[in-house]
Amino acid sequence: MIFFEKRSDLFSYSKKNKINFFDNSIIKLVNFHYKNCSNYKKILLGLKYKLNNKKISNIPALPVSLFKRFNLHSVKIDKIIKILKSSGTSGSDPSKIFLDSFNSKNQTWVLSKIVESIIGKKRLPMLIVDQDPKGINRSSYNARIAAINGFSIFGKSITYLLNKNNKVDFKKLNYFLSKFGNEKFLIFGFTNLIYEHFLESKLKILHTKSLKNGIIIHGGGWKKLESKAISNKIFKKNLKLNYNISKIYNYYGLIEQTGSIFVECPKCSCFKCSIYSDIFIRDKNLNIIKKNKQKGFLQVLSLLPTSYPGNSLLTEDIAELRNDIKCKSCGESKKFTIHGRSKNSEIRGCANI
Amino acid sequence: MINSDNINFIVGNKNFKKEAHEPFNDKICNFLDQLSIYLSNPKVSQDYSDIKTFAFFCRKKNILNLKKKSSNLESRKGLGLLFHITPSNIPTNFAYSLIFGLLSGNKNIVKVPSKIFPQIDIICNAIKIVLKKFNSLENFIKIVRYSEDEDFTKKISLVCDGRLIWGGNDTINKIRKYPIKEISRDLSFADRNSFCIINSDRLIGIEKKKLNEIALKFYNDTFLVDQNACSSPHVIFWMGKKNLKIRKKFWKTFNKIVDSKYELDHSAIFYKQDRLFSDFITKNNIKNFKNYGNSIYCVELNQKKIDPSKLISRWGYFYEVEITRLEELSKFSNVFTQTLTYFGFEKKDFYKIIKIKNFDGIDRIVPIGQALDISLNWDGYDIINILSKVIDIR
Repeated sequence: MIFFEKRSDLFSYSKKNKINFFDNSIIKLVNFHYKNCSNYKKILLGLKYKLNNKKISNIPALPVSLFKRFNLHSVKIDKIIKILKSSGTSGSDPSKIFLDSFNSKNQTWVLSKIVESIIGKKRLPMLIVDQDPKGINRSSYNARIAAINGFSIFGKSITYLLNKNNKVDFKKLNYFLSKFGNEKFLIFGFTNLIYEHFLESKLKILHTKSLKNGIIIHGGGWKKLESKAISNKIFKKNLKLNYNISKIYNYYGLIEQTGSIFVECPKCSCFKCSIYSDIFIRDKNLNIIKKNKQKGFLQVLSLLPTSYPGNSLLTEDIAELRNDIKCKSCGESKKFTIHGRSKNSEIRGCANI
Repeated sequence: MINSDNINFIVGNKNFKKEAHEPFNDKICNFLDQLSIYLSNPKVSQDYSDIKTFAFFCRKKNILNLKKKSSNLESRKGLGLLFHITPSNIPTNFAYSLIFGLLSGNKNIVKVPSKIFPQIDIICNAIKIVLKKFNSLENFIKIVRYSEDEDFTKKISLVCDGRLIWGGNDTINKIRKYPIKEISRDLSFADRNSFCIINSDRLIGIEKKKLNEIALKFYNDTFLVDQNACSSPHVIFWMGKKNLKIRKKFWKTFNKIVDSKYELDHSAIFYKQDRLFSDFITKNNIKNFKNYGNSIYCVELNQKKIDPSKLISRWGYFYEVEITRLEELSKFSNVFTQTLTYFGFEKKDFYKIIKIKNFDGIDRIVPIGQALDISLNWDGYDIINILSKVIDIR
């Protein structure tokens, strides 16, 4: 059987406590998936993984793309209550993440604790920079909807900013601001959508200052901004400049590890690991890079996946460790920054695979 | 009337009248020689090694050599107008396809990929310049670029006397939907897979320098094109006694060369991890896995029947199989298998195995290091013969 321990030291843990808790738990999870997911077992056997391994750096990191091609789950299919699907780039198959109710509940619990650490326990009025997912024609439960649903539990009086044509509904916006704008409220959305509607085509609001009480939580969608050469720094600066919004939290999360997201520290602008997550940066030979400020592949580890073997994943994102930055509010947690997706190289040769 | 308003004619005019030469026409050979001289100038080729290789292929000596090997030339004539649809991944492929058409005596419309390669511009420009001295050949070379103008593809297909469709398979299937005249010929160059066979006995006690040379040849067959050419080996067969140790030595030597010459990029690393994990899940005949850094992955397979069309990989991902007799190759190859490169065998060893009844794969058997050398026998086609007709005069 597997257990899930509810910890209160989400970010305030000491290094030693983290190792005791995290390392032991994830090793147990690897063994659990080995016994319960035949495809995962095949991988571990192929790699000659030793089940008595104690070092988390030896845990194989599954390339995230594997979830696109294979159905990977460690509980019987009749226990699965929902299948998360990534939006996927056009033409490629979406990832499929199999969740049972235990896994799903734990995701929600950890996500809520992480968000609480930013906005506090009280639910806040919430402006979502997206369409109402009820109106979106969807064939599956995709990442965007999952994120909206996941985060909307922290809000009240939820207002969707965009209409069916993906344009800002100003009537709704002004109503929301006149009602809640004088106190703290939450703005949530994908990074590129916030950029598009807040900065590219600036909001025509009666009082631009009326957004100043907003706390922005945003994530994903950096690809489009990179192509426009908009960095996180410029993004934040412009929001401050235009709307006087200063509480802006970027988060990094994968649909394959929903819940254990990495939130950017407002002080040092690094992503930090909670007690439920860890990361490694790996070089071209997939050896661990221990030095700060050296770019490599990001490997993400999470204690949340229990109904599918997603505890240790190799992403296509390039990141670097930033433990050199001393930051009081980050405590002893591992810190890193992200430099976007690794570039698809031009391939030579004649086979159009 | 063919509407070609949206078509960019990089070289040539809009005259689609049918004309044909005999194969290896003198003017064509002279033209190719001049082209070779022009492109050999480093100022022109800008040190693109693939342009240099192409220029070397066009030189008079090589063309005359190819001519000598062809038979029945006096009673042969080109088909007329050929339509070439060339691939978007090897920049100089279009130029070889054009040479196939020219040497066999045909007029040519060559569609080059919409993707921009400097090599294409350089070669096309050179053709234009050299053509100025060969007025009568003007109608024989048209090089066009267009994205997805189906109408043009459809109409040229209907008037041409032969089509050369280079893969991927998706392109072939798409182009085949456009009919050609009943009498016209279609040549397709599909996605293929290739092998290498090494006689490990011949590597025992070999000098370090010699082993290095062999490994370098293997490098040229593989990493030079990211192991992604149809003729780059994907499966390595090892024959000989006690080959485990020698195999390791070979891969280590090879790895050193790769590390000194090749910059492995992130997507390649990710691809190989993904491929490996997927193989563990889907293949039940994996005997062993070994990697040399992240440059070289070796997946050793059991002798169970394997389907070569499923063993296409890239960026330094190799399958290895141990065999004891050459004849066993027939078990592993099928119509998808294109090239077999070899080390430690004689030509005559292979004549025996191609006679085996159920041996239906492998179109080329060449020494290690020559996997990418294009020739007038390609994908099982005798190019000059198939792109020309023979006139039976008695």
